[in-house]
Amino acid sequence: MLAYLQNLLVLFSINAILALTLNFIMGYAGIFSLAQAVFFGIGAYTAAFVALNYTDSLLVCMLAAMSLSALVSMALALPALRVRGEYFVAASLGLQMIGVTIFSEWKSVTGGLGGMVGIPPPVLFGYTFTSITDFLMLAGVILAGILVITSLLVRGSFGRSLMAIRDSESAAQAYGKSVNTVKTLSVAVSAGLAALGGVLYAFYMSFVNVEVFTLDMSILLMAMVIIGGTGTLIGPVVGAAIVMALPAALTYLPFIPPGELGTIQQIIYGAAMVILMMYRPGGVVGGRTKGKSA
Amino acid sequence: MRAAQSSIEANKILLEVRRLHKSFGGLQAITDVNLDLPSGIITTLVGPNGAGKTTLFNMITGHLVPTSGTVHWLGESLNGIAPWRIARMGIARTFQDLRLFNHMTVQENIETVMERSSWLWQRRSDAMKQKLEQVLEETELANKRHERAVDLAYAERKFLSLARIMAGDATLWLLDEPASGLDPRSFDRFVALLKSHAQRGVTICIIEHNLDIVIRLSDTVAFLDQGKLLAQGSSEDILKDPHLAAIYFGDR
Amino acid sequence: MLYLQLLVNGIQTGALYALIAAGFSLIFGMTRIFHAAHGATFTIAGFVFYEFYAVLEWGLMPSILACAVAAGLFGVLLNRWVYVIIQRHEGSFFTVFAASFGAVIVVQNLISIVFGKGMVTVTTSLSRSVELIPGLYVAPMAFIAVIAAIVCFALLHYLFTHTNMGVALRALGENPGLIDVFGLNPKSLGNYAFLIGSVLVVPAAILTAATSGLNPAMGHHVMMISIAATIVGGVGSLRGAALAGLLFGLAENLSLAFVDPQWSEAVTFIILFLFIIFRPGGFYGRAIVS
Repeated sequence: MLAYLQNLLVLFSINAILALTLNFIMGYAGIFSLAQAVFFGIGAYTAAFVALNYTDSLLVCMLAAMSLSALVSMALALPALRVRGEYFVAASLGLQMIGVTIFSEWKSVTGGLGGMVGIPPPVLFGYTFTSITDFLMLAGVILAGILVITSLLVRGSFGRSLMAIRDSESAAQAYGKSVNTVKTLSVAVSAGLAALGGVLYAFYMSFVNVEVFTLDMSILLMAMVIIGGTGTLIGPVVGAAIVMALPAALTYLPFIPPGELGTIQQIIYGAAMVILMMYRPGGVVGGRTKGKSA
Repeated sequence: MRAAQSSIEANKILLEVRRLHKSFGGLQAITDVNLDLPSGIITTLVGPNGAGKTTLFNMITGHLVPTSGTVHWLGESLNGIAPWRIARMGIARTFQDLRLFNHMTVQENIETVMERSSWLWQRRSDAMKQKLEQVLEETELANKRHERAVDLAYAERKFLSLARIMAGDATLWLLDEPASGLDPRSFDRFVALLKSHAQRGVTICIIEHNLDIVIRLSDTVAFLDQGKLLAQGSSEDILKDPHLAAIYFGDR
Repeated sequence: MLYLQLLVNGIQTGALYALIAAGFSLIFGMTRIFHAAHGATFTIAGFVFYEFYAVLEWGLMPSILACAVAAGLFGVLLNRWVYVIIQRHEGSFFTVFAASFGAVIVVQNLISIVFGKGMVTVTTSLSRSVELIPGLYVAPMAFIAVIAAIVCFALLHYLFTHTNMGVALRALGENPGLIDVFGLNPKSLGNYAFLIGSVLVVPAAILTAATSGLNPAMGHHVMMISIAATIVGGVGSLRGAALAGLLFGLAENLSLAFVDPQWSEAVTFIILFLFIIFRPGGFYGRAIVS
């Protein structure tokens, strides 16, 4: 029982990290991305690749994952600068599809459809993370760290720049805000931090494979952010908890055939998205207003 | 073009607009405009609706690109420079529709102007904190500092718009109908604020329709009609000119 | 000869994409609603046709009718029951998009409960390929697809230029605020936009059912093509979206001559990316740069 809970918590932490970082660009910069799973994947594959071929140092893997993810996010930033949020969704969709294709086809690096297995446990300052409890601690620390970082950013000058641009881009420009720099930075931060979720995943599972980095995952993450509420910092975490609790809760309902569990779960959170947007656009945490507050 | 009064020539010319043209497709919005804005002087741009006053502002601030002609600020050409860079060079503006950062508080609206956007995080210096308090006091918004801009009363929003400019270090202020709709007491406060900043050396150019405002505020008035600068001089000279009055009030 | 075959296939696919994309573009251009659920409309239409024609065996015409009714009803009801309510409160792009997305998820999964997750097809003799010239296999379906597209676009053109409602719809797209002034009702016009836009998926849905088959998740691909085509064609231009749809159909098929099938979907998005970066206004649209 304990192991089951611990496992759930580790996975929850990973989802929360991904949802938090997605909310950073969606809720604050108005950049609606369906490509978050790609950065999750880049983080995971990079960590796996480095660990399998070079070193199992956690720090090195994290650094490599974050850097590569931030770099690739430039492919997202470029269209984000050119078109408004509404039309940008399509570009992110494109990146997601291209990403999945690359993950599946670049056999020499990603292991193709089979993925990469046998990833060694990570090492930090001589300590090797092997047990579930180890990973739970690590996940907790990383999640807390990301919460702190995003909080600092959002409540500080960068957050104000983001919100100024969101409220009136022309006025923001008239008062010295370099819109391009701000948007690019926010995309890079979002992708870089999301990669940490991937690093955690790769080491925890000791195996990565393209199946979790697909559009379905990006949609799931978007659902978490939307249901939890985009205008707040805690919203995505709550959203992650709710969406994850669904399958567990559903198993207790006797009349649902087990094969259809996943389907019912999706119907529920799909319907939740529709109903929430109609009556409570701020999400579970945000309430009726969608306007943000730090 | 009437010559500017001699007392104004004594101030250094900071903004030079030369032979500015702007056309949108077939529409000629601005034709051959020459304008000098000296330091410490309040210039008012008047003219009928659609004369091109806001278009002129947009070209100075970089929001629009001129079809031809030049704009020089402190000797440097502004052609082709992005609006945010021009803002950092010391030119600030307000908008006719205010464009406040509506979902942010009064304090945040002011703070954000003082911060550089290219950094992920910056410490709030003592100088910034002092400036914030000073601006809040001068615009009498201190007790509203944590209210969202969208929740403010009309006059308070106008003052917040001014506060944003005051918080930066701009030396040229382009104000687009900043005082319209203000009650008399607020208006007096507004005028006093503008005059005090002009005395500190800020160059101010205002677009205004209300002639009382024009008379009380302006050191010099420029009359724009159909994209052309017809006259520039003291407010008396311009406003008493029957020919210009006819254009302004519509019987040509 | 391979190229010719791929070209023909591309035209067939492209014609269908053009119709679907035009439907999405119509709805978006006229109501400014990012109707991501357009893919769901397509899925519903396809499965309804399958149910009535292949399972219940009602006959071709009634099945087509049922299909059109289902598609139109879904679009209009989604608008009336969901989008309109959202717009009453605050209706930002994001909220509408999120709701639309949620609807897609619900529909997709409901369909998979009823019909299963696998592929279903409608078998007709029309989908059997005939060797027209050595090496070139074309099914009568291909011609039907192209003809259906042409007919639909001709009808649309007539609608927009010669009928009151069509002209009103165009006005709605240009300037929603002005509509009330002329005594027109923006709400009912919006419903018409959804009706017409949604029904446009019908030919594509039926033809897809008869050729490559249906599965509950196909709405995703359709939605992506619709959105991409609307952008590449230029926001606000029906003609552009249709052309872009054709372009994507051709690209998807012709690229098979050069790359593996897994990459052909990526080709569509590479094209989209290039347009966004170098020509965000698309073929015909007004520039939509921020």
